Formats: sequence, structure tokens, C-alpha cells
Amino acid sequence: MKGVRSNKMEHIAPQLKIADGFTLDLSALFMIVLSSVIVFVLCRLAVRNLSVDNPGKLQNFLEWVVEFVQGIIGQAMDYKKGKPYLALGLTLILYIFVSNMLGLPFGIVTEAHDAAHATFLGMNLYIPEGDHEELSFSWWKSPTADASMTMALALIVIVLSHVQGLRHNAKHYLKHYTHNPNIVFLPIHLVEIFSKPLTLGLRLFGNIFAGEVMIGVILGMGWVGIPALLLWQGFSIFVGAIQSFVFTMLTMVYISQAIVHEEDH
Amino acid sequence: MDYAALAAGIVFGLGALGAGIGNGLIFSKTVEGISRQPELRGTLTATAFIGVGLVEALPIISLVLAFMWQ
Repeated sequence: MKGVRSNKMEHIAPQLKIADGFTLDLSALFMIVLSSVIVFVLCRLAVRNLSVDNPGKLQNFLEWVVEFVQGIIGQAMDYKKGKPYLALGLTLILYIFVSNMLGLPFGIVTEAHDAAHATFLGMNLYIPEGDHEELSFSWWKSPTADASMTMALALIVIVLSHVQGLRHNAKHYLKHYTHNPNIVFLPIHLVEIFSKPLTLGLRLFGNIFAGEVMIGVILGMGWVGIPALLLWQGFSIFVGAIQSFVFTMLTMVYISQAIVHEEDH
Repeated sequence: MDYAALAAGIVFGLGALGAGIGNGLIFSKTVEGISRQPELRGTLTATAFIGVGLVEALPIISLVLAFMWQ
């Protein structure tokens, strides 16, 4: 994604060129670190001074989130089997929710006066080909508005499901592909191996990135767009929460498809 | 003729059509379920929104593609 063109001014992400064809997106790097720090601090603050009779507000909130994730796991598989994945579900839902919310309040944009030789701490930034009159770098966005970040999350989850399936009962896991219910379905299952991580990652990316692009478009409308921006921010909060929940729920469903064997086999 | 803009329009138009039909089906079944069993309203509404999150995945991917080509 190169950038969003609005009023002849391009907002592109500051990238460093590491190798041929591989650029490191600095804004995604900073935002990922920032959202990790925010989730970490939030959770550490919530478990300070734990108390059974008199829980503080943050401890209450975190207990509610834990029970929510336990409910998600219980819907997908038997909770006794799914208990090891509670930490994974908790991490995913908190991290993706915080990441989705980060890009909404504001943005930080710096203008480059000399577009061809923009530098960051002495390192030359990568400028895509083309003739740019005014170039500005956008440093603040949701980390999940970056396709590489969401695809990384999806790959982690899908590789985990394959590895856990092979570890628990390798023969049974491979039978899922050929005996389910007939070998005729094998091509469909092979396509599913690729379509699961792809749709998992792109769903999250598309929702959050399209939300940010729309914010940019509404901002370009000037004063007229203020009520529209209010509505769209509200809707984006809703979409961010739903997408984090859907990602976590699909994670648990894919893991349960890989490791649950007893029923009819 | 600007084929890129035409492609973006067709891609997103068909995606929006799919999203509209899919969401309409989901919510029509949800309303029917609520009318049959009003006490399940909360569960059915929550499930409906989860369904929306899943159904809208591909139309939103098509939106991202349309922005890329525009």
C-alpha cells in the first residue's frame, strides 16, 4: 500500500530499505512496540494488589476479559482441553483490541521539504518511484492497519494449530484431510490450508485499513465532515472490537478443528 | 480510458453487492429468530454481529484492492 492521495498531498509511511525488495516500515515498528507496551502496562497494573473480596476496577475488568475468553474457548472446544490456550486467547484479544483503537484518535504527520533525500536519524528513507511535489510521512497509525502485521498474527496462529495437531496425534490429524468424509474432498482441504491464514489476516487488515482510509477521506472534506467523522469514529470503535473478537474466536475454532479427535473418528 | 478506475469501481461494486445481500440474509434470520423466541434476543444479536464480521471480510478486502488501484 503506497499511500492515500488527498488534495495532491501524499501520505506515505516512512520506510527503510533493508535489502532489495524488503523495506522496513518504521511507523509500523514504533506502533507495534507502543501497543505492546500499552497492553503490558495495562495488565501489570491490573494485577497489582490482587484481592478476592475487594477487587479494584482494573482487576475487575481483567477478570471479566478472562471469563470472556474462557467462554470463547468453551464454545469452540471442551474447556478442559482448551485450557492451555487461555493465555493465547487473552493476548490476542487484548493486543488486537488495543491495536485497533490506537489509530483512531489522531495522526502524526511530518512534511519532507526535500522529498528525494528524506532521512531519519541519518538513515535514508525509501521513497517510492514517481514524481512527488509534496511528500509527507505519517508516523502514527494502527499497527493492524499494516498487512504484514496481521498476516504475521494469522500465520502464528495457523502454524500453531498445525503443530499442535501433529504433536497430539499425527496420524489422526492427517486423517482429517483424507477421511473427511471422503478422499474426494482432499483438494478442498488443501485449498483450506492456504485460505485460512489468508482470510484471517486480510479480514483484520482490510477492516482497520479501510477505516483509516475513510478517516482520511472525511478529513479531506473540511468542516462539513465533522458529524460524519463523529459517526465514523464510533463505527470504527465498534468494528475494532468486533474484529478482535472474531479473530480470537476463529483462532480457537481452528485450533479445536486440529486437536479435537474423539467425537466421530 | 482509465481502466484502473473502472476496475476499482467494478471490484468494489460487486463486493458491496455481496456484503449487502449477506448482511441482509443474516439480519433477516436474526429478526425471525427473535420473533420466535424473544428471550434469546441478546444471544441472537451477538451471533448476528459475529456473522457480519465474517461475511464482510471479503468485501472489505475488495475495498482495499479498489483503493490500491485507484
